[in-house]
Amino acid sequence: MLAEIGLVATLLAFFTSIYSIGASIYGERISRKEATVLSGRNAAILTFVLLLVAMMGLMGALLNQDYQVKYVWSVSSPDMPLFFRITALWGSQAGSLLFWSFLMSAFSAVATIINWRSHRRLMPYAIAYMMAVVAFFIGLTLFIENPFSRWWILPNNPVDSQVVDAAFIPSDSVAPGAVELASSANGLNPLLRHFGMAIHPPMLYLGFVGFVIPFAFAMGALASGDLSTNWIKASRRWALVAWLFLSLGLILGGRWAYDVLGWGGYWGWDPVENAAFLPWLMGTAFLHSVMIQEKRGMLKTWNMFLVIGSFSAVIFGTFATRSGLVESVHAFARSGIGTPMFLFWFSLTFISVGLILWRRNRGELKDDHRFTSILSRETLFVLNNFIFVALFIAVFWGSFGAPILSELLMKTNITLGKDYFMRVTPPLFAALYILMGIAPVSAWGVSSARRLGKAMIVPLVLTLLSLIPFYLTGVHTGGALVAYGIVLMAGWVAIFETYRAVVVRVQMQSENPLLALWSLLRRNPRRYGGYMIHLGITVIGIGVIGSTLFQMETQKTLAVGESLTIGGYSLRYDQLLKGQIAEDGRMMDIAEVTVIRDGQELAHLRPRRDFFPQTQGLNTMTISGAYSTVENDFYVLLVDWEPINQDAATFKVYINPLINLIWWGSFILILGTVFAMWPKELLPSRVRESALAGALVGKGA
Amino acid sequence: MRASKGVRRWLWVGLLVAFMALAYVPPAVAQDGVPRTVTADDVNAIAQKLYCPVCENIPLDVCGTAACADWRDEIRQQLESGMTEQQIVDDFVRRFGDRVVGTPQDPALRALSLVTPYILIGVGLLLTLGVIWRLQHRKGNGAVPPSPDPADAGRSNSSYYEQLQKDLEGK
Repeated sequence: MLAEIGLVATLLAFFTSIYSIGASIYGERISRKEATVLSGRNAAILTFVLLLVAMMGLMGALLNQDYQVKYVWSVSSPDMPLFFRITALWGSQAGSLLFWSFLMSAFSAVATIINWRSHRRLMPYAIAYMMAVVAFFIGLTLFIENPFSRWWILPNNPVDSQVVDAAFIPSDSVAPGAVELASSANGLNPLLRHFGMAIHPPMLYLGFVGFVIPFAFAMGALASGDLSTNWIKASRRWALVAWLFLSLGLILGGRWAYDVLGWGGYWGWDPVENAAFLPWLMGTAFLHSVMIQEKRGMLKTWNMFLVIGSFSAVIFGTFATRSGLVESVHAFARSGIGTPMFLFWFSLTFISVGLILWRRNRGELKDDHRFTSILSRETLFVLNNFIFVALFIAVFWGSFGAPILSELLMKTNITLGKDYFMRVTPPLFAALYILMGIAPVSAWGVSSARRLGKAMIVPLVLTLLSLIPFYLTGVHTGGALVAYGIVLMAGWVAIFETYRAVVVRVQMQSENPLLALWSLLRRNPRRYGGYMIHLGITVIGIGVIGSTLFQMETQKTLAVGESLTIGGYSLRYDQLLKGQIAEDGRMMDIAEVTVIRDGQELAHLRPRRDFFPQTQGLNTMTISGAYSTVENDFYVLLVDWEPINQDAATFKVYINPLINLIWWGSFILILGTVFAMWPKELLPSRVRESALAGALVGKGA
Repeated sequence: MRASKGVRRWLWVGLLVAFMALAYVPPAVAQDGVPRTVTADDVNAIAQKLYCPVCENIPLDVCGTAACADWRDEIRQQLESGMTEQQIVDDFVRRFGDRVVGTPQDPALRALSLVTPYILIGVGLLLTLGVIWRLQHRKGNGAVPPSPDPADAGRSNSSYYEQLQKDLEGK
């Protein structure tokens, strides 16, 4: 029953989204009837409600263990705990596509409700674009990857084709027995049975789908001809919301990889990771560049390209991940959605770029001002944009461009891995950090080298001073010191600019320093939230340099009681707990080890390897044990391809210096983003003014 | 005097040859059949530069499949037999193709892989500089008007405060 409800709701959502497109465009451009436009808007909101019902239907089927639903059968099993039964909603292609459609419809509905009055002229077009994307994804869900498809038995068919899956009941069919279905249910992919996977995919999806809003507003502006900064005002915060979730998704993905994938790192330059990184790069460029248009009325065409590029990268990444174009531990199984997704991506990009060029040729995207100084903030922002796009090109080329071209043109399959990315990207990241250090102290309009130099003196001195502890703790190579210096400089500029503003307010207004800081954050959240983001990126950068340049690793087979040493630590193998059975049916081999330094026992760790006997295909998982300090992580893996017993267990140990700064920096980055996107005032000024006027009238009366 | 200089020169050459011969002794001994002790770290140092030939995009040193365990064992045997890192990598590339290494070994593919992004980025940089130049020298558009921003202020506290206040008030 739940599957039927879900199926019908999805079907209705498909129709309402298409109706919304038609009514919005017809009402706005042809009939010019407000009622028609309003019905288009309402249909967009109804689409969200229907997809919510559909999603609840699938969730209900998962919770009720309705294994006749093929999706439920393929991603869950009777021994799975409730938590993983819920996360199984996005555990495979069909469910995640429905979830994706639902999130996108939710974003669209909220953006429609919030912006309807303030951006009335843009809204019908924006709704049409949002619903076009939603309709496409619902179409994929309905016609190619239907999560409501059920198992049926056709007794009259030959034996090898008696079991079929179909969304509608086939004639002369019977439902399979519940017991047989439950006993053969596949269970969730072991790699997804981790707390991080409960949050990582939804965050990533929210980030991806969030970019549909700025995209739709940009397209709405191009289609309607309202090319003022209205579309930017309407979409900038949405872009920040999308960027926040995408950042969270990437960070949580890194943490998940670190905890579960068992290779001692958090970023492997895997094509699917990179597919999520590409829109982040483009979106970050947009968030910087958009300020120039808002403040200066410049780079109008470029901003259109960036916002469309961000969403195009989202769709391309989705296509690459879900079509089987690339193989990866993250990729979904090959499916039939590849061709339609590619066609959708291609036509979306083609139409968008065509619209930009059309408006540009009509002279409607002309800049209002010109640059006046090579060291002005707008010029530095353009260079910053160039670096982001250069990184985009380098990552795209390494992940997709070179492998696809070599296969197409030279019939050779190649992989560009860490080796390639570590050659090409570090100079670009260094340039980005340098700009991050300079741009905040450069002035809008006119700036000079002398003025800039003066503004940089204090951060520069602080940077040199803060390099001393690095030197004293063993960082003696010039390259590493320069790298740390560049990154630290960006952070000190952010801190110093905030500090100076606080000090001035304390002096001039006799404010408490904390109150002064709060006032700055509250009254210009974008600037000071932005500085906080820069600080977060600096802390992350220090962690990345430390854990990349100074990582140590060793692998050794030990008998119980034996030890290995690495980086001043010792690891002692204490005992093996073999064949432990967990609540969800997994079998665990747990090694108990002790971490020792200078003769002192620091921690007892339990690295383990898990085996999922019920699961077909990939059914093992390596869970690390880690002893974390500010200085480093002592990270132990129980190697899963060597024999394990009391006499011989093979351990792979990594010392990852400063790695925890990556997670702490991420926290600062997220906090800064929340500040940056927080509305200055919760109520629009118009509402506040009328409320104030009302209060005054009331008082007067 | 001249003769002794020549003798000395030959002595130096002889010493150099002897030193180089000594430097080559360990692999030669290994090739002669005396097994070299190879640690798991030696194997991993090479395996982490290779990708699993079966599961794409997973480095060979961390891939958990039985096939990869066998390949790592093969690397161990190759090291024990005296093969160098490059010889082992070349052997894997010969058998499984360029996709088992992080950057292709084939010169044409390697150049295509590594040089192309720099060319694209170089073109992008030229375009960017061109845009900046054009935007600086465009006629008809006014220059950017002054705007409140703390960075625009001089470094004196009063002018800084003034700009800061304007910035916070959104003026």
